[in-house]
Amino acid sequence: MADKLIDLADLNLSEEELFAPVDHDDLASEKITAPRYSYWHSVFRVFFKKKINIIILSLLAVVLVFTYIYPAVIHYDAEVDPFINLMDSTAKHLSPATAMDKFGHNIHWILGAGASGQSTFDAIWYGSSISVTLALVCALINMTVGVAIGAVWGFSKKIDMFMTEVYNIIGNVPYVLLISVIVLIMSASFWSMVFALTITGWIGIAYFIRTQVIIIRDREYNLASRCLGTPLRRIATKNILPFMTSVIVTMAATEIPSYISYEVFLSYIGMGLKDMSLGKIIESAQSAMQTPGWEIEFWAPVAIASIITVVLYVVGQNLGDASDPRTHM
Amino acid sequence: MTKYLLNRIVRGLLSVIIVVGIVMVMIYSCLDRNLIFKADPMYTKVKGNSKEVYQMQQWEKYGYVDYVSYSEFLMNLKREGKIDQDTYDKVVKVPNKLDKADAKTAEYIDLFTETMEDDGYEVEFLKAKMKGKTKKYADGGEPRLYAHKNVPLIARLGKYITGLVTVDNIHNVQEDIEGRGLKFTWKDPVYGGNKFSPAIMGTGTTHKYLLYCDDQFPFIHQNLVNINLGKSYSIRQGIDVFQIMTDSQGSFEKSMVTFPSGKTERSADDLHSATYLAGSLENGTPVVKANFVDDYTNVTTHKAGLSKVGYSFTIGIIATLLSYVLAIPLGTYMALRKDKLLDHLGTIYIVFIIAVPSLAYIFLFKALGGKIGLPTTFDMEHPTRLMYILPIISLALPSIANLMKWLRRYMIDQMNSDYVKFARSGGLSESEIFKKHVLKNAIIPIVHGIPASVLGAMTGAIITERVYVVPGAGNLLTNAINTYDNGVIVGMTLFYALLTVTSIILGDVLMSIMDPRISFTNKSR
Repeated sequence: MADKLIDLADLNLSEEELFAPVDHDDLASEKITAPRYSYWHSVFRVFFKKKINIIILSLLAVVLVFTYIYPAVIHYDAEVDPFINLMDSTAKHLSPATAMDKFGHNIHWILGAGASGQSTFDAIWYGSSISVTLALVCALINMTVGVAIGAVWGFSKKIDMFMTEVYNIIGNVPYVLLISVIVLIMSASFWSMVFALTITGWIGIAYFIRTQVIIIRDREYNLASRCLGTPLRRIATKNILPFMTSVIVTMAATEIPSYISYEVFLSYIGMGLKDMSLGKIIESAQSAMQTPGWEIEFWAPVAIASIITVVLYVVGQNLGDASDPRTHM
Repeated sequence: MTKYLLNRIVRGLLSVIIVVGIVMVMIYSCLDRNLIFKADPMYTKVKGNSKEVYQMQQWEKYGYVDYVSYSEFLMNLKREGKIDQDTYDKVVKVPNKLDKADAKTAEYIDLFTETMEDDGYEVEFLKAKMKGKTKKYADGGEPRLYAHKNVPLIARLGKYITGLVTVDNIHNVQEDIEGRGLKFTWKDPVYGGNKFSPAIMGTGTTHKYLLYCDDQFPFIHQNLVNINLGKSYSIRQGIDVFQIMTDSQGSFEKSMVTFPSGKTERSADDLHSATYLAGSLENGTPVVKANFVDDYTNVTTHKAGLSKVGYSFTIGIIATLLSYVLAIPLGTYMALRKDKLLDHLGTIYIVFIIAVPSLAYIFLFKALGGKIGLPTTFDMEHPTRLMYILPIISLALPSIANLMKWLRRYMIDQMNSDYVKFARSGGLSESEIFKKHVLKNAIIPIVHGIPASVLGAMTGAIITERVYVVPGAGNLLTNAINTYDNGVIVGMTLFYALLTVTSIILGDVLMSIMDPRISFTNKSR
């Protein structure tokens, strides 16, 4: 056995790497230490740990640049630009190749020309700026109202009785009908569409939040907190809100793309905006799909709408996963 | 349990009534009532005073106003025996100008004005419009006298709710009719009077046949209890929404029928649907006169296709079955092989379906299906089984994604729970844990959705039916909104709301049957 013993001197270790006696420190032994924990720091650490998220995030950046900066850079004017080639009968329904031959090889014509000779590419990004803004505004309003009301709804049993009945009633009014009545009364403008989508849109979110609040409201740690005399407000902000953050982010991830889809749906059934939003572009290009060779006019906006929604959804979902404290281990 | 369910049903019905009330406020009070004439060809034809009267009559028909014309008022007086035919004839003609009326007419006009104003009506007199300086009336320029008042919401709602279900009875026909009563026969005359087929026929009832048998499922049919969801204005003028949804469509389907006159021929007429239409025999075409012997001449026709609900339900129910059959094993497999290849593929599919606008993938399926030779449009005249495939796939794929997503989520939650860890440490085999514990618990929330998806199949799908030109019920509401068909809007709202309320209650019942821990009798939270 003796030859198996290792002589420390053979390992060439420096003095610091070897064990050394430490003096007992009374003060240090009383200190409770843990690694520094910052919630948002951990969220982003977990989020960026996955390489796919960086790719998706850069895709999102590209989409946002094209949606908001591109139309501004090319000075897109919705009153003028779609009709710039209206009189030129040879400029209509062009495939990307012919359009680029005709108008020059630049970015405007890489998706060809539409029914009135307009650049499909420019029209799509201008349309998506309307659709994405609509989705963001609606999601912001609905999420804010929904989360606030949902929290109160979940906490108070009296309000719960009342709000559940309200939910049963409002949930049964056909959404399509409500939107079309509001659009008929007001007009098919951007803000009346926002009004139509938000007047009852918050209630589904509020109901979801209510259920989540009820689930965690009576958990043991909250019970303990209450027994120790923590005020309700601190329980709501310190105990429950952190738990809800990931739920809220995940929900926002489904909400924002869903408004874009909904806008497309409403335009398709003829109840959408009167501005040339993504939905309206898809709806007006629908007839072009019947003609062989013109399909790209329809598929291009559909594909870009899908890319936008998928990117927004995936970023939101992964951010939602990262914002769940249980993944921070 | 029964008490709780009863309470739920009552509350559900109450909320349905409130929903219908809200929708009525929205479309009758918030929207401009002239919109209903937008799709009406008659409206542009009528001119002058007739236009005003036509508007009033239509508004009355569709529940906006109560309208009483002067002649209706006099007709009522005559019926009640307060005036005789002579006086009626003398005073019924409205004078060109009010001050030009003769003493007797003026007396009745005053009576009309007084009575109606006492009842809260507004009385309108439209003086005659002449053609230039001649003594002839201009087109639609006859003088008119009528009273009208707006129908208050509560009255409209009350009338609608109480009129939803009507029971036919022998006093329904107001005109004099011979032999009011019910008749039972073993041999239905429609089949020539020789075939055994019991039927109950009525005289004085709205429907001629109250109970009859035929070879269509469910073989015994009734017209005694009728559901009235409201009359359509522009989609199928004057037809009840319930009938629009359930009438067969397509080309006529002829069979041998024996008409009441004894004439036997191949015809598509459905004599069992005959309803009373006053004076229809007398004023009818020679064909009607040859076929019928009484005023029960208003018949519908047999058609080869299914009804709107029929098509929607056929497609919807197959898609629902398919999605449960496929999604439960797939979702389970994804959960069991978490973070393996199949799980990743499934997740990509779920993200695709949830994030991409439904319009986009339905068109994608259509384009792909067209490429491999499947029919992309629905053809009622030449039905094939193949034309159902694409609509069913378009409906099933998104619901598969949805079911998979939730099932995977529930299964993983269950697999991480303490009791599963305990069972594993207790030595139970993985398959035992899975079958007896995980699946049983994870499936419960999925079961809750089954009634909703089965009943929801009846309402149809808007985009799918539009894209594949399916003559289903999905587009009825959007079409009604586009053509301002208020009757259909209210009817469809009620239909949808009833289905939702029923499916939630059924879902809860089903869940409590599946899971004995869930009890509705004493809720404690």
